Parts: sequence; structure tokens; C-alpha cells
Amino acid sequence: MRFTIFQESRVGKRRTNQDRVAYSYTRDALLMLLADGMGGHLYGELAAQISVQFIAQSFQQEAKPKVTDPVLFLSRVLSNAHHAILDYAFDKHLSDIPRTTIVACLIQDGVAHWAHAGDSRLYLIRKGRLIAQTRDHSRVQLMLDQGLLDAESAAVHPGRNRIFSCLGGSHPPQIEFSRGTPLGNGDVIAMCSDGVWGPLDTNTLVKALSDGKVMESVPRIMNEAEELGGPQCDNMSLIAMTWHDDNPGDIPDTVSTRTMPFDAVTTQMEGFGRGKRDQEDLSEDEIERAIREINAAIHKFK
Amino acid sequence: MATQQNCALPSGFQLDHYRVERQLSLGGFSIVYLAYDQDGTPVAIKEYLPNSLALRAEGEVTPHVTEAHQGAFRYGMKCFFEEGRALAKLVHPNVVRVLNFFRANGTVYMVMQFERGRTLHDYVQKNKGNVRERFIRGVFTRMLNGLREVHAHKLLHLDIKPSNIYLRADGTPVLLDFGAARQTLMSDTPILKPMYTPGFASPEQFTNRDALGPWSDIYSVGASMYACLAGSSPQRSDERLKHDTVVPATKAWYGQYSPHFLATIDWCLQLDPLKRPQSCFALQKVLAQRHREAPPQQKSWLEGLGTKLRTMIGRS
Repeated sequence: MRFTIFQESRVGKRRTNQDRVAYSYTRDALLMLLADGMGGHLYGELAAQISVQFIAQSFQQEAKPKVTDPVLFLSRVLSNAHHAILDYAFDKHLSDIPRTTIVACLIQDGVAHWAHAGDSRLYLIRKGRLIAQTRDHSRVQLMLDQGLLDAESAAVHPGRNRIFSCLGGSHPPQIEFSRGTPLGNGDVIAMCSDGVWGPLDTNTLVKALSDGKVMESVPRIMNEAEELGGPQCDNMSLIAMTWHDDNPGDIPDTVSTRTMPFDAVTTQMEGFGRGKRDQEDLSEDEIERAIREINAAIHKFK
Repeated sequence: MATQQNCALPSGFQLDHYRVERQLSLGGFSIVYLAYDQDGTPVAIKEYLPNSLALRAEGEVTPHVTEAHQGAFRYGMKCFFEEGRALAKLVHPNVVRVLNFFRANGTVYMVMQFERGRTLHDYVQKNKGNVRERFIRGVFTRMLNGLREVHAHKLLHLDIKPSNIYLRADGTPVLLDFGAARQTLMSDTPILKPMYTPGFASPEQFTNRDALGPWSDIYSVGASMYACLAGSSPQRSDERLKHDTVVPATKAWYGQYSPHFLATIDWCLQLDPLKRPQSCFALQKVLAQRHREAPPQQKSWLEGLGTKLRTMIGRS
């Protein structure tokens, strides 16, 4: 297995980053995850973290070095993640159950399967063209499908952030599964939260990702989305992966799993509180301590 | 956000055990006062007061920080502490000395040794177009001693400019204002934008902050030397990257300063960090070399004309 992957998550202009991204791979399987905790609800960040962590963990336990059935795996882990959130809320007596969107993509044997709930998206780009895209679980998308709205008014619709399916919350999630899609050399799979696809239109995104140089295009897209997001800029997350043939040709920055041992797993996941602006952490005690330290240093070197 | 002007503490104000004499300078991030301690020794006190976040109205003492700005205000305070921490460890004749650090009026204060003299900026303005090579070499060689010490502590100054280089009465330089040094430790998105003076900042300060290093300070040293000759800073380095209009020192002051010296300035001002001197020591070694200044212009008129023409062609 050979691919190039890059993920980034930014807080935007919000106080906390409720988005989570992660990827994990073994010798023969790659899992990519993106969750966008729902801001309007309590602890959206918790829901996102629980989902990503739980799913990544399940992958690490089961992919030895492949999972037995990709679709069953996705179905099981997503619904288990949903229950993990409910359990957490119950254990901690939370007044509201945290919620998060999710999009998960599993690639093994050169075939990609993905599943999602909510309005975080996955795009599959082949030779500069959009081959497949998840459909948002939002009222606006439904209205679009029924022809009640056009794309322009959807982009500014007041209810465009309202989604009808997610992990956590009081209703069981409606998870949508893709067909298995064989990947070819140079195919790009990109997953992003609404902070990225909101300000940028799909064509721009597809175009920017087409060259497959995800290490460069991801930060560039993030910059653009952040700029367009303006002073209200939402959390933004984007994870993009370019698939390569297993030929030994040397492409910089690629991950080749051929030399990995059977039981090894590599995971890239950001911990909790990352992206949270830490400027508020400075407590009275810390101020006093900082001043004491500085004065100690001054007198020591005098 | 409209920038507001903060009111300085009044003369005679008792601040901790210092008595405020007058305001020395007002920046976007702080106010510096001249004050006297109990023994009557003059000190410079820097008050943390970012004017985009905290407002002190006329006649008030405690600045007003709105709820929304509380977080950013505290964050900035952290940066101010970084400056204090950095300076507290540095004891060097060419680096300003911190004497005390305290908290009052809802903000924090840094007490520094008061130096009599004037800034290099003032000196250059007063002697515009008539700053001697020996003087510049002398000031910068000694200033680089201080900067070496800064770098040895794994810090970068990042705001070197003539107005941050102070000349004592005896002519020895002191490096001031480590306000920008704080940025080295902050990897998170800074809400208080890194502060630097555009014409003196290296290109990597604008674009690629991961590439910062001693060479970035070296660029600012080069820009400062350039300013000693030109009277003003060279073009901003981020604009230079797009369209470079800086006339190399070797061309602009051909014949007025030794070619060796002018080439040294151009060397520091290279846009590619790798093409600059890589350390203070490397630059010092070159600056300390004794070179006779170019002899006063006693060329034949024809030769003089050639030079003039060359300069004009070079500029066009």
C-alpha cells in the first residue's frame, strides 16, 4: 500500500476546536476519520473526540493487518461510537447528549469504503474530476434534492447547518454507506468539515486537490477557507490522501506500508484541547508564579 | 478595531516603590516611564498595556479590559513574561538589564536599568548622510556581542532596528526591547499579531516563521546598517520578494564607504537566509576587520562622471 496523506485542523475564529481528524494504517489497511462536534449542543468537542478515538482504537484492535469485512466493520464501529457517546453522557449525568458528525473511510485491497452521518463530506477525485461525493444529511440537501431550493439559495439558507443525522444525540444515527470503490493511481480522497466546504465551492476544492500534492494543497485550501470565513470563521478540518500504485518509483513524502510488520499500526490523532486557544489558561496563580520566577532569575544572575 | 490612545500614569505617581517621573515612550504593546526608586536611582519601567485590548482613560489608574478581551489580555501578559524571563537570564553590558518585575493596577511592570544617551535612530537622523564607517563598524561589532549572548540563550530578538539600539554617553551600544523575542516560543496562532517593524524584518518573519533563526536577526542588523547610510529603512522584505527595488549598498554609496563594508551590508540583506552570514560571530569577524575607508573623492572629473553614470544606470 502506498499513499500520500495530510491532515490539518484549525480553530478558525471560534473559541475551541470541536473538529477532530485522525488517520491510522497498518500494512494493508488505511482508516481516515473526521468528526465535527456540534457547537450548538453541549460538549460537541467531547462527542467528536470520543468517536474518533473509539473508532481508531477499534481499527487498531481489528486490523491485523486487515479487517474481515470493511462494510460490517464501519457499520459496527460507527454505531458503537454512537453508543459510547450515550454511555459517556449517562455516566457523567450530562443534561444533553453530545453530538458530532462523522465521516470514516477505510481502504484495503485497493478498495475504498466510506460511511457518514451529518454534513461532513468526503470527495473522491479522479483525474481532476469529482467521481463521488457524500450527500449531506441536512434539511437543505433534502430540499435541494426535491428541487425546492437551488444551490445559490442553499448556500445562504438560514437552516443550512441543521442536520438530521449524527452520532450522539437522542435519535439513532442514520448512517449512509458507500459502495466499495476501487482506487486507481493518483486518485484523491478528501474529507472535510463544513468550515472548509462552506466558504469554498466544490469546484474550487476539486480543482485545488486535483494535482494530488496534498502536502501543499491542504494548507493552501485551509488558508483560503480561513480567509473567506472571515471574522466568524468556523472550525476547519481537512484530510486528503492520494493513492499511488505500488510501483517502487520514488515519490517524495509518500507512505509505503510494504515494509511494515504485520501487527504494527501507525496512528495520527490530535489529543484533547488541541487548537483551543490557551491564552485563557493563565490563572492568578500562574501570574504570581511567573513573576516570582522572573525575580528569582534576576536576583540569581545579579 | 480603532486604535485608541492610552493615557500614561501621571508624573509623581507612586508605582510600587518607584515614583514616576515622566513617560519615555509609547508603543502599541506598552508604555515606558522614567521613574526613580527609593534611593533616587533612575529606572525605566515598562508597563504592559496593549492598546488594542486595554484602555486607560484620562485620570484613571487601572486600565479597563472588556470581558471579551480578557483572554487575549492574559495571553499578551504571558508574552510579556516571556520577555521578562528572557531578559532576566541575560547579563551582558550590551543588553539592557532587568532589575525587577511586579504586578500592580491590574497589569504587570518590568523595571529596567535606565540608560542615559540616545538611540542610534536619533543619532542617524541628526547626522544624516554623514555617519562614519568606523562609527558604524564599532557600534555594530559591540552590539553583536550582546546579540550573541541573546542567541546563546536560544532566543531571537526579531526586532532589531536603530531605534532599539541605544547609545550610552560613552558610545557603547545597548540592545533594547525584547518585545518580539516572545514569539519564538509561541507556536499557537497568535491573537496579538507578532510585532516587528516592516522595513527591518527578515522575509521569513513575514512568510515562513519556521525558518527563523540567528540569520533573521542578521538581516535586521544589515537593514539597520543600511539605514545608517540611507537615513531610512530599506524596502520591506515581503515586498522585496515580489519586486526588489533596493539599490545594493555597494552601488548606492560607491566610493563613499569601503567596498568591503558595503559588500558586508549587502551580504546581510540577502533575501535567501542561507546566503547571509549564518551567525553573529561570522558577521562580527568581518565587521571587525580593519579596512581603510575609501579615500575622499579626489578623482578626476571624468572618473567622477563615470561613477555617477554607473549609479544612475544601476538605479534605473
